[in-house]
Amino acid sequence: MREQEVEDLELHRRLSGGDRAAFDELYGRYAAAAHGLALRITAQEALAQEVVQDAFLALWRAPEAFDPARGAFRSFFLSLVHHRAVDVVRREERLRTRSERASNLEPGRGEDVADEVVEGAYLSVRRKQIREALTTLPPEQRQVVELAYFGGYTQTRIAESLGIPIGTVKTRTLAAMRKLRRALTQEDVA
Amino acid sequence: MRDHERIEELLAGYALLSLSGEDAQEADRLLAEHVPSCLVCRQALADYQMLAGDLALEADPLPPPDLLLARIHRQIDEVPLGRRSPRRGSFLALVASVAAFVALGGLSFVMVNRAHRAEDRMATALELINVLRSPGVSPVPVEATGSAPSSTGFIEVSAPDVRMLYLVARDCPDPRPGHDYVVWLGNGGAFTPVERFVPRDGVVLLRLPVDVSRFDEIWVTEEVAGTTPATPSTQGRSWGAHLV
Repeated sequence: MREQEVEDLELHRRLSGGDRAAFDELYGRYAAAAHGLALRITAQEALAQEVVQDAFLALWRAPEAFDPARGAFRSFFLSLVHHRAVDVVRREERLRTRSERASNLEPGRGEDVADEVVEGAYLSVRRKQIREALTTLPPEQRQVVELAYFGGYTQTRIAESLGIPIGTVKTRTLAAMRKLRRALTQEDVA
Repeated sequence: MRDHERIEELLAGYALLSLSGEDAQEADRLLAEHVPSCLVCRQALADYQMLAGDLALEADPLPPPDLLLARIHRQIDEVPLGRRSPRRGSFLALVASVAAFVALGGLSFVMVNRAHRAEDRMATALELINVLRSPGVSPVPVEATGSAPSSTGFIEVSAPDVRMLYLVARDCPDPRPGHDYVVWLGNGGAFTPVERFVPRDGVVLLRLPVDVSRFDEIWVTEEVAGTTPATPSTQGRSWGAHLV
């Protein structure tokens, strides 16, 4: 297990006991990644902040939701952020169209956004691995993964958007995920 | 023999939160019935879920406003651990009473998602109490309509992060002879039956592996036993609620 993962486990253990400093440290480690992800998915600063806030509050109030036996804290927490962001997108889609949101992609944030991205080397290394793995995918496979993951699209909607059979979407998704799995599970244990 | 290619295809889509309709239902069923006992599928699901977490890193990191942490701190201070709203507290009381009933050996005929052993049912009740204490969980009263008694007290509890739906009730009347109850989930007016049950001594405790975010309504209706109706019956007792 990597040093940073061990530190995450210790921080999570302390957080589970109500240690606010441990919570703040985990926030420092993952807030930028969580916010970047939430903004990419929701395309609205206010919604992204809502997602990040909800995710960290969920972590504080129900730390037992993370089971170390099921993987790294990093993956658990970012999955939590992803799930909430997709839920928010689908909720919002009932209220407005995607194009309206897209027009807000570069909002005036109006708050004191920190300019510097301070991120642990560990996350930077993993980020590089993820991006390299994604570049190895054929464009059509990468497209379906990105529409699903960052667009919050269902496979049915991807098929409609791209004008291809849903079976093709499923095939491309599986092929992409298998390639990523092979590349990244090997990297993770390296 | 299971078609593992097909299952893996579903698990990949599941991890990306991209399934809908029949695929989502099939994935929910596989997660309940097949995956827990299949080493290959368990490993595939674990890897795909790890991958889904790490795909987040493809997005550029962007620090949130400095004020966000202060807002989170305020929220933490406003609702300290262990403090619950009166409404949630009343739901907890209902669940606790059901848990006590389960612990005393009741509920023997209630279907609790194929968890037939007493310890599994007790674990479900305790799990539900824990879920109720989690943020983001909003218990929904499922209200009686028509001839159904309003005192039944069905409560729907969804746990979005674990894609689980719980349905709890006490004082639920027995269905008419030759009938049982069916739980339906609806989306845009289209309904899917997800479970059948018969209460025991008025108590119901169901644990269903369902991603509730895909649905906007829940109904419990009285149906002829052994049939699979296409739509919820309007003839017998029924309870319903909109899911937020």
